[in-house]
Amino acid sequence: MKYKTTVLDDIGNQHPRKNLRLKELSALQEKLKWSDKTERAGIQTEIKALPRKTDHPYEKELRAAREQEKLFLRGAKERRKKFLSQIKDTDRHLFNWQLEAAESAERYRFYEKYVDLSYDFEFEYKKHLEIAKQLPEAVIERRALLNELAEAETELQSLKGQDHSAAKAEYAEFRQRRKEERAAEKAELRESRRQGIISAKALINESKMADLSAKEDINSKKRSRPLPFAKDRVKNLKHRLKIEAKKKIKLLNSDISDLRRRTPIEVNKRIPWLSWLTILIPGLGQLSLGQRAKSAFFFIGTLYIYLIAIPYALGSGNYRGDGIAGLISLARDGGRLDRSIIFMIEGVIAVIFLILALIIFIISFRDVHTNEKKQIKGVRLHNWFETRTTLQRDGFPYIASTPAALLTIFIVLLPIAVTALISFTNYDPTHQSKFVWQGLANYKQIIAGQGIAGGPFWLITGWTIIWTLLATSFAIFIGFTLALLVNQDRIRGKRFFRTTYLLPWAVPAFITIMFFSILFSPSGPLTLALNSLLGNTDPSEMLNIKYTTWGTRIVLILLQGWLGSSYIFLLCTGILQGIPGDLYEAAEIDGATGFQQTRHITIPLLLYQTAPLMIGQYTFNFNNFSIIYLFNDGGPFAPSRYGNVAGTTDILISYIYKLTMQNQYQGIGSAITVVVSLFIIFVTWIGFSRTKSFREESL
Amino acid sequence: MTKKKKTKKTEGLYLSDRQPLTTAKVISLGISYILLIFWAFVIIWPLAQIVITSFNGNLTSYISLGGEYEFSLKHFQYLFNETYFWNWVVNTIGIAVATALLTLLIVSFTGYAYSRYRFKGRKASLMAIMLLQTVPTFAGITAFYTLHSIVNSAIPGFSRQMFLVLIYAGGGIASNTFILKGYIDGVSTELDDAARIDGCGSLQVYRLIIMPIARPMLAIIALWSFIGPFLDYLMPAILLNDPRSYTLATGLHTLINDQYNMHQPVFAAGGLLTAIPIVILFIALQKELVSGLSSGAVKG
Amino acid sequence: MKVELVNIGKKYEGRENFTIRNIDLVIDSNQFCVILGPSGCGKSTLLRMIAGLNSITEGDLLFNGKRMNRVEPKDRDIAMVFQSYALYPHMTVYENMAFSLKMANERKAVIHESVLAAAETLQISEYLYSRPSEISGGQRQRVALGRAMVRNPAVFLMDEPLSNLDAKLREHMRVELVRLHKALNTTSVYVTHDQTEAMTMADIIVLLDEGKVQQQGAPSEFYNKPANLFVAGFIGSPTMNVFHGSIQEGLFRSENGLVVVEPNAEDARALQPYEGEKVCMGIRSERFHAGKVEKNSIEVKIDVIEMLGKEQLLYCKFPDGEEVVISEPGHYEYGMDEDHHFNFDLDGLHFFDAETTERIN
Repeated sequence: MKYKTTVLDDIGNQHPRKNLRLKELSALQEKLKWSDKTERAGIQTEIKALPRKTDHPYEKELRAAREQEKLFLRGAKERRKKFLSQIKDTDRHLFNWQLEAAESAERYRFYEKYVDLSYDFEFEYKKHLEIAKQLPEAVIERRALLNELAEAETELQSLKGQDHSAAKAEYAEFRQRRKEERAAEKAELRESRRQGIISAKALINESKMADLSAKEDINSKKRSRPLPFAKDRVKNLKHRLKIEAKKKIKLLNSDISDLRRRTPIEVNKRIPWLSWLTILIPGLGQLSLGQRAKSAFFFIGTLYIYLIAIPYALGSGNYRGDGIAGLISLARDGGRLDRSIIFMIEGVIAVIFLILALIIFIISFRDVHTNEKKQIKGVRLHNWFETRTTLQRDGFPYIASTPAALLTIFIVLLPIAVTALISFTNYDPTHQSKFVWQGLANYKQIIAGQGIAGGPFWLITGWTIIWTLLATSFAIFIGFTLALLVNQDRIRGKRFFRTTYLLPWAVPAFITIMFFSILFSPSGPLTLALNSLLGNTDPSEMLNIKYTTWGTRIVLILLQGWLGSSYIFLLCTGILQGIPGDLYEAAEIDGATGFQQTRHITIPLLLYQTAPLMIGQYTFNFNNFSIIYLFNDGGPFAPSRYGNVAGTTDILISYIYKLTMQNQYQGIGSAITVVVSLFIIFVTWIGFSRTKSFREESL
Repeated sequence: MTKKKKTKKTEGLYLSDRQPLTTAKVISLGISYILLIFWAFVIIWPLAQIVITSFNGNLTSYISLGGEYEFSLKHFQYLFNETYFWNWVVNTIGIAVATALLTLLIVSFTGYAYSRYRFKGRKASLMAIMLLQTVPTFAGITAFYTLHSIVNSAIPGFSRQMFLVLIYAGGGIASNTFILKGYIDGVSTELDDAARIDGCGSLQVYRLIIMPIARPMLAIIALWSFIGPFLDYLMPAILLNDPRSYTLATGLHTLINDQYNMHQPVFAAGGLLTAIPIVILFIALQKELVSGLSSGAVKG
Repeated sequence: MKVELVNIGKKYEGRENFTIRNIDLVIDSNQFCVILGPSGCGKSTLLRMIAGLNSITEGDLLFNGKRMNRVEPKDRDIAMVFQSYALYPHMTVYENMAFSLKMANERKAVIHESVLAAAETLQISEYLYSRPSEISGGQRQRVALGRAMVRNPAVFLMDEPLSNLDAKLREHMRVELVRLHKALNTTSVYVTHDQTEAMTMADIIVLLDEGKVQQQGAPSEFYNKPANLFVAGFIGSPTMNVFHGSIQEGLFRSENGLVVVEPNAEDARALQPYEGEKVCMGIRSERFHAGKVEKNSIEVKIDVIEMLGKEQLLYCKFPDGEEVVISEPGHYEYGMDEDHHFNFDLDGLHFFDAETTERIN
């Protein structure tokens, strides 16, 4: 990269170079770029002939100036002593400001001499000029406020000694009067109510307003008494002093930062090599660039990386695992207490730590790199004030989301990752303590429908799909119908019906399911009732719902209809109530009968508005573990076709549960979970995207 | 809808707002009523049975209907004295409150951030997490065990129940943020502007303006987070090992899943007690709860 | 408070072009300045920059000579009324109005006094303890004004506050707002797209279009000396009639040849350089005289008559279909489909360069 002939500030304005050496060099380099062959050699000789950095007259001048600067800055202590003797104020801000203003006055006078020499000097000059201008103004304003405060405080003191019984009496009298007024107002309101002039609601509202009005009046009067008023004045002035001080300083810093944006910088650098050099130590680059406060934060990141993330990944500090290595070895050669699953989980945690570390690296590098490139262009870097303001403004969402993000990573993502990984192992009853990677073997088993676990896979999948479709549709149908019926104009007792139909949703599902399970047990009441209906009195010929596959299946579907219709009913009722009546009136004028109105207006609108939510219902039933498990444990069993693990009414989710929790076939269980999850995610995603587009085109 | 009373003077006048009924309409109205009443019966009967059997002193281990009825409170007594019922109640309430508070705390910030700030990965992250949360949780149960052990070794005294709270809260973050964000989106940004001009900084805008306005939605989110632990029997069963530390759902389940220790009527009693407060909550707040569920989808 | 905008420009992040650029404006103390323009011209952006809600990309904003670019909105001593009023729905009217003072930790007694005084002026004392949702739109607007009044600001900003009101109320509030401005002794900056509001309320108007200032100055200047075709067409109702043509031998000849006008001496001098060039001539509807004269006449057929009472608008058509709107006193008798002669009032002509659309005379 070559030096450019001009430098850019942050706003985008170009400035000529003040560094004469770079100016000559860049001009020649520019000429070189546009030259043709004949001139090239000549220019290159010129470039080589340029004096080195150490010998160049400009650089010498610059160095001399910097020496002067050092001397001058060393004299700051002396100057400070002199100023100290001149300042009489004890107030902290007044003291500091005056001190700083005095020093800045000296400084800008010093830097004025070197303004043309370098932009750094120009910046210092402008900066101290600004400080010397604004701080004295601030001092004057603050002094005025402090005087006011002193006045207010003396007044307060003198008031404290006085007798306020007169004022107190006046206040008490006012209060009494006001309360009487209020009581009278309210009595009037009650009378109006009694006469039926105003409604009950109006009575409540107006009474409340009368209360509030009286409260504010009394409160205000209370604070207007001389003593409280004076106290409030003092409080207010103190607050203002604090706020004004903050404001002034913030303003000054803002103006200085504006100067930073507008005054360019010239550096003897062409490539951002610092970012590459310090890539492994976040914070070092920032420190080298002069951004000390920011570097502190990144150093914390470095500590995290080197003291937590990397050691953990290497195995130390693990609970029982072995870091990243554990992920690969899965405790293969470990002792009796070393369990593969723990090795795997800690391996995943190590991966997460490393990813976080990587993110820190990237952020730090990008920060240093961008800043270096900016500096090369001529942009002055942000100081801590600017960085902090930007962070406060734009950083809020990141900070706010951090606890949520951490929780999500460890509670949601980690288990999912572990599940996915387990599906690639042979974690089964014979490999509980130690298991190994075995690639896609589990998936092959499932697809081929082989093995203890994989055998009934397709049978279960079939029933799951049938169950989902039938049960959900049945519930939707019932819910729809009920909503339509109840919503009819002439139906009375709507409230009763709506409350009753709410119950299946309100009563915790596990209670009703378990109860129905009891009712349908072999000697349970409903079984007995069913059999007496069918005329089966002989115990050996008893029809036991829970012992027959089709019996259980039918009852399950009916039961889910009972449970699920409630929510659908509520949803549809809400939507039906939201359909504008004009539609029906227009239809009536057009000659539609009630039935036609329902068919052509109500049902389409209902479907349109609830469709996205219905997808949620289908996915819910697809994964409806509770009802299957609690009702009959997925039974009855049919070992010949389903093996020993699954029952005939098991759906995929309950099957997974049995495999993983009860029979220790975690490997296959996880594989099925992965397949099921992918399917559900896909369907839900379609539902989501449709939701948005539906909404945009709705009524 | 109300028909005025007919007096001698107004006899013969048709006073109702609507058209008079035809025979066809009368019949269809009748059928409607029959269906509605039938369904109401279908709903009420099993629930009534739960109530009845829990008071039926004639039952011992099993539930049967139609036998002799003897009103007694002995099942409730058994529940209170011989089971860990009160432990379960305390546990469940404790976990529910903690979940609600933690969820509120986290989601109020994320909801505000996602609504009012534009930052990279805004939409993508929310959508991704919501999709991932459809993965059934107990597939990763072993991960929870291990995580808890790790956390426990780092912070002794971090009980499994506290971990349960984390699981419940963590599981609800994405969808609750989504719903809250949707609600806050509906609050005009001009309010933020007005507040800034009136002297508020970012945090004050959040605290004094946005959060009070979002209170209805926050209440709904708190409510759902509170009710959740009452309804879940699976997580505690898997995660907790001491029956005394169970929640209500899990604890009641233990009363009927052991063939040699069957207490069906006691289960009915416990179920009744658990159901009553929740049903009351649902009935009182049905409008809010339903709107809370559907607004998430409505606002897209 | 004197408000100055020096070379103000705004470029949004991620956009290539400046939304507004090179805006120079001086609003003296206690002036009522209206920023006028069609939708999307950048007027709200400008107002928000003065308020501090949007950042200023380039240029300087000065309040009494002090640079305000980086100062926070709450520190600028301003108050703003939003188009949708932005009242805090969960607070009573009293609390809404007291909010800013409460944030400043002002004394309770002082707050109470200020709020009551403002409520009295705006006649909303009855609603002090109601919620915004319980009062009507007009009342809400007054609450918004009250909230701004209580702060006693140095600069009063208003973003289309009347657009949500019905016509009668709008008329009433126009007068009220100007009265309020005088009573408060502040500098007001008012944004609107309604030129009637601008013309009736403003001390100075700034007309923006596509992010650029088209004209700024007193309302009369806009009406009598529009600086370009856009301004001419925007201000004044009904819209100014514009004829496209050229200057031939010192006369304006329209393209269709039906309009031939000999400009007066002053205009003729200004038009001299435009001999043979394309030029547009504008004339307001009320600057026509009825009747036929030797020169500068037109003959048109009346298409539609709009009877307004004191005047009537005649929408006329030339034989070739081109339209012109002429305003005549209401008591004259005109009928549809009648042919009439009108002639031009030479002192009411506006000439524009057809290419640059800038004013010539």
